[in-house]
Amino acid sequence: MIRRPIKRSTAIILGLASILLLVGGYTWLSHRQHQKNPDDTTIPTWSQIGKGITQVVQVNKRSGERWLVVDAKATATRYFMGLALGATAAVLIGMAMGCLTPVEAFVHPPLSLLAQIPPTAALAVFFVLVGTGQEMYVAMIAFGVWPALAQTVYLAVKDFPEELIHKSYTLGASHLEVIGSIILRQVMPRLIDALRLVIGPALVYLIAAEMVVGDVGFGYRIRLQSKLLNMSVVYPYLALLAAFGFLMDFLLRRLQARLCPWYVQGRQ
Amino acid sequence: MKLALHCQKVSHWFGPKRVLHQVELEVPRGQFLSLVGPSGCGKSTLLRAILGTHLPREGLTRVWRVGDLNGAVVAGPGRDRGIVYQHYSLYPFFTALENVAIGLALDQTSFASRWLQWPKWRRLRKQHLAEAEAMLVRVRLGDALRVYPHEMSGGMRQRVALAQALVMKPEIILLDEPFGALDEATREELQQLLLALHDENVATARGGSAPAYTVIIVTHELNEALLVGDRVVGLSQYWDWKSEDHTSCPGATIIYDKAAPVFKLDRAREMEVFVKQREEIRRVVFDPAVPRKRHEHIVPMNQAQP
Repeated sequence: MIRRPIKRSTAIILGLASILLLVGGYTWLSHRQHQKNPDDTTIPTWSQIGKGITQVVQVNKRSGERWLVVDAKATATRYFMGLALGATAAVLIGMAMGCLTPVEAFVHPPLSLLAQIPPTAALAVFFVLVGTGQEMYVAMIAFGVWPALAQTVYLAVKDFPEELIHKSYTLGASHLEVIGSIILRQVMPRLIDALRLVIGPALVYLIAAEMVVGDVGFGYRIRLQSKLLNMSVVYPYLALLAAFGFLMDFLLRRLQARLCPWYVQGRQ
Repeated sequence: MKLALHCQKVSHWFGPKRVLHQVELEVPRGQFLSLVGPSGCGKSTLLRAILGTHLPREGLTRVWRVGDLNGAVVAGPGRDRGIVYQHYSLYPFFTALENVAIGLALDQTSFASRWLQWPKWRRLRKQHLAEAEAMLVRVRLGDALRVYPHEMSGGMRQRVALAQALVMKPEIILLDEPFGALDEATREELQQLLLALHDENVATARGGSAPAYTVIIVTHELNEALLVGDRVVGLSQYWDWKSEDHTSCPGATIIYDKAAPVFKLDRAREMEVFVKQREEIRRVVFDPAVPRKRHEHIVPMNQAQP
């Protein structure tokens, strides 16, 4: 039956079973590969992965740094700066477009076009415009996420009932208060939803850029170790990226539940 | 009688469609006016002209504050007029208490002062919440202060919306078919609430003060119009415009304006008076078969003054 509810215990068992299946499948695949070639590093065994983890956590003899620490620091800084810049631009532009019709008429056509350009395809443009330093990564993420976020904010503002705007004026609100104290509150949960959706794409843009021009960061390390077929380092990095995305999504959901309980309850 | 509102020759049209034609309406302070009329006659358009969201193409609307001699021409929605809609009455992101308190905050503080004068704002906020709570208790929602609109019934929502408008003490409260989507029992309960406000008005006027509530209620329910209004105004497109040398209908205008019986909360209604007036309104305002002369069913009220 479509959408027939199941017991919570059944849901937990099914979830665990899928993870066990994944782990079991990988173990079998790795075992089979090592029977053919005992020195294989493309599908490392769990013990090889353990060694790979030790390698990224320990101080590297040549560079004197811990790979994981320097890579995480570089990637996280670029990621959060880019996301913050993109989200801020999106809120300002989306709100202005939704509230002010001249801005809407001026910005909407280019926004619709820009939103269609994949930022990774425009990588060369970023090199030319902002170089290959920190600014390039930040600009690329911001450019990648702001059109989608701005569109979300814009549509959320457009959805706000006109009657409630009129009512706000009868309650003594100024234009700024209608925007900042009333409309923004309605927009907030949808902005958080949209942020949850761009967590993944933003990481894709960043990792792709780091793979091409980076000298530190998750993308750089994955590219380097992949070339050396050192997958015991690559897999833990991929697992960390997945965990990071999951954590970000979890934190944003918690933030949404805290800031917008009315939205979360209403949706349930 | 002091005037609260004056619509002066208000006309409105949308493209070729003429909606309102030279509507002339004076509403004294303290009056509960019911605006009735057939579907599409422009009741809501007139209400919006008064609210200021759709200004009339011709004519103007003036609102008087207490002690004001000239009145202010309506140029947009403002603090002196409260509104309760049938739908979209409340901010979905505020609880009942916050929905009522927000108006006080917006009116008495500014965006900057709420951020820059935090201690003062906190003190004021407490006052606002206390005032809002008292108002919600008054509309019998004292036990639903922290409930969000999506958790409320239709009746509860309209009560909160009414409290939201009342707490601001506007010069005029506009009700746009506020109980249209409610069941019979809830609707009656809310009508009683309006009658209680009317009783308060009467008591205030007896004490020599200006009555606190001036209400215009747009409704398609004649029973409701007669029950809650002390004056019924009928707006209709079925009037004898040919006699005024028009070749096509120039829009709806007021063709019925009479006092309505005031029903006391604790007394039985005089059904005979009620039914007689209801039938008269139905015949004059709603029947397209016999177009009425414009001033035939208009009984001038005692001259109101600014």
